Amino acid sequence: MFMKNNKNQMNIIKNSTKAILLLGIAFVTILIGIGVGSVSIPPLDIIQILKSFFFGSPLSETIEEIHYGMVTGIRFPRVLMAFLTGAALSMSGTVMQSVLKNPLASSYGLGVSSGAGLGASIVMITGIGANWFGALCLPVVGTFFGLLAVTIAVGFSACMDRSQSNNTIILSGMVVSLFLNAIMNIIAAASPDNTRKILLWQLGTFSGKDWKSIFILAVVLVICLILFQKHSTELDIMTFGAEQALTMGVDLKKEKNFLILLTAFLTGTAVSFSGIIGFVDLIAPHVVRKFFGSSHKWVLPMSALFGGSFMIICDLVGRTIIAPSEISVGSITALIGAPFFLYVYFMSRRRG
Amino acid sequence: MEERKPILSVKEVYGGYENIQILHGISFDVFQGEKICILGQNGCGKTTLLRAIANMIPFQGEVVACGLSVKKAKRLEVAKTISLMTQMHSLYFSYTVYETVMMGRYAYQKGIFFSSNEKDKKIVEESLKQTKAWELRDRLLTELSGGQLQRVMLARVLAQSPNIILLDEPTNHLDLKYQIELMEYLNEWVKKGERCVISVLHDMNLAINFSDKIFLMQEGRGVKYTSVKEFPLSILNEVYGIDIGAYMKTSLKKWDTLEKNGVKI
Repeated sequence: MFMKNNKNQMNIIKNSTKAILLLGIAFVTILIGIGVGSVSIPPLDIIQILKSFFFGSPLSETIEEIHYGMVTGIRFPRVLMAFLTGAALSMSGTVMQSVLKNPLASSYGLGVSSGAGLGASIVMITGIGANWFGALCLPVVGTFFGLLAVTIAVGFSACMDRSQSNNTIILSGMVVSLFLNAIMNIIAAASPDNTRKILLWQLGTFSGKDWKSIFILAVVLVICLILFQKHSTELDIMTFGAEQALTMGVDLKKEKNFLILLTAFLTGTAVSFSGIIGFVDLIAPHVVRKFFGSSHKWVLPMSALFGGSFMIICDLVGRTIIAPSEISVGSITALIGAPFFLYVYFMSRRRG
Repeated sequence: MEERKPILSVKEVYGGYENIQILHGISFDVFQGEKICILGQNGCGKTTLLRAIANMIPFQGEVVACGLSVKKAKRLEVAKTISLMTQMHSLYFSYTVYETVMMGRYAYQKGIFFSSNEKDKKIVEESLKQTKAWELRDRLLTELSGGQLQRVMLARVLAQSPNIILLDEPTNHLDLKYQIELMEYLNEWVKKGERCVISVLHDMNLAINFSDKIFLMQEGRGVKYTSVKEFPLSILNEVYGIDIGAYMKTSLKKWDTLEKNGVKI
């Protein structure tokens, strides 16, 4: 009895130590993300500036005015948006993988991102519906189209292969993604004024985001994190498959629908603000599971932290490596993510 | 036989998957302390029947478990009464043994953020000890052998504290020692309170040694349901299409020869 308690506590302590470590890494990453660029700003200055920005504390005289403007007006919002987007996508990837009990599933791979992107670009070009939900218009449209895409992808694979093997789901998700991307390209081409804007956005960018978008994404992220966390036991159980979940008392259909809806909402919101960014939703859960185990109580918040930090780094690389030009963040994540996908695919095949 | 109330009552169950009807009107009762073995050829609907009893597939008819209609009751309530131990096909994510067995307590956990209380922890510990898997508690599922995994899955079933345990070929992957231990364990388990066990077995020896009654199925129908002692072998031969009696006798004879040659049995 005592031994068991000790063991369990040790596990928890270990994970919580790791969590604090990751929190520290995330904090440092944010500072680096803000500090590095055409003009570098020392971390202590950044902390002072942020303190003054949030709490109105006075700035010391050594800090230049232009730095203050740069941090609060450009870099901090950008880094924050990158962090939130990375966190949102990673968390939705985690849930997708568990709901479909497929380690290769992700919102991007299943077409949720492309669907949300299509919806958002229709609103951006045609202006249809732009006034319906006010500031929430893009997220709502993104969610709707994302949901539509994943429904088609999963339904399609269910028709083709009743056992719904990994390969079929991945394949049909890819088909749906490519199809929706093509429609988006056609729409973009048909409206020359917007072509550049759409194409840029399609690859993902965090520049020039206003505080309103950041606020909306942050609120959605927190709500989703709480709701997912509340369903973490169900998510754990669902990875064992339908039969096991049912016998343990999980109302599978309801649970699945709810979780996929929430995932689409989270992805749709993130994508409609930042564009289609792939692979982070695949990578983050895998890396986090390696360190924290599979329990969703840990994997969900830690994927958010890890994915957010990862996204800041990717964005940083993208905007500095060939400065003053920028490489879109989606390309950077794909550069890292594509080999990673192959690695996971072959590892899981080898295991059987 | 005195009037007793059955723990599990299956009444006129018809069911299957989408367009394929597999079960054609199955009815039987199981009483307290009984161990029932379902026999029948592959594809005759044994697993489907277990799934219907556990309310995993839609079916017509009625299944009443401990006074609970499994179709009408909440899934959580059914989970506290019936637990089905299935074969593990594949594992995608690796949980520790302890985490896995704790999931069995899902139906009992309350609160906004499910947290396991002392009672849950105690039951999980007991379940793991009873299945001799306590030493494995911090190991990952992916590191376990087939037999170890099976024991962990049984521990999870026990952690659910059900009245009725359904087993779908539970002895797969288990070596002979653990097969017998598992069956002996269930023998004791079933005696304690309002309980019964229903298992699908392929091993005729295990079926005869372990069960009280045999429910023989053929093409989705119940053919015979009697106690093991009175079970007519001829029907078994008919259903399986081979001479099972001869097979069993041959193996007995071989044991005899072994004994004569000085092997102690």
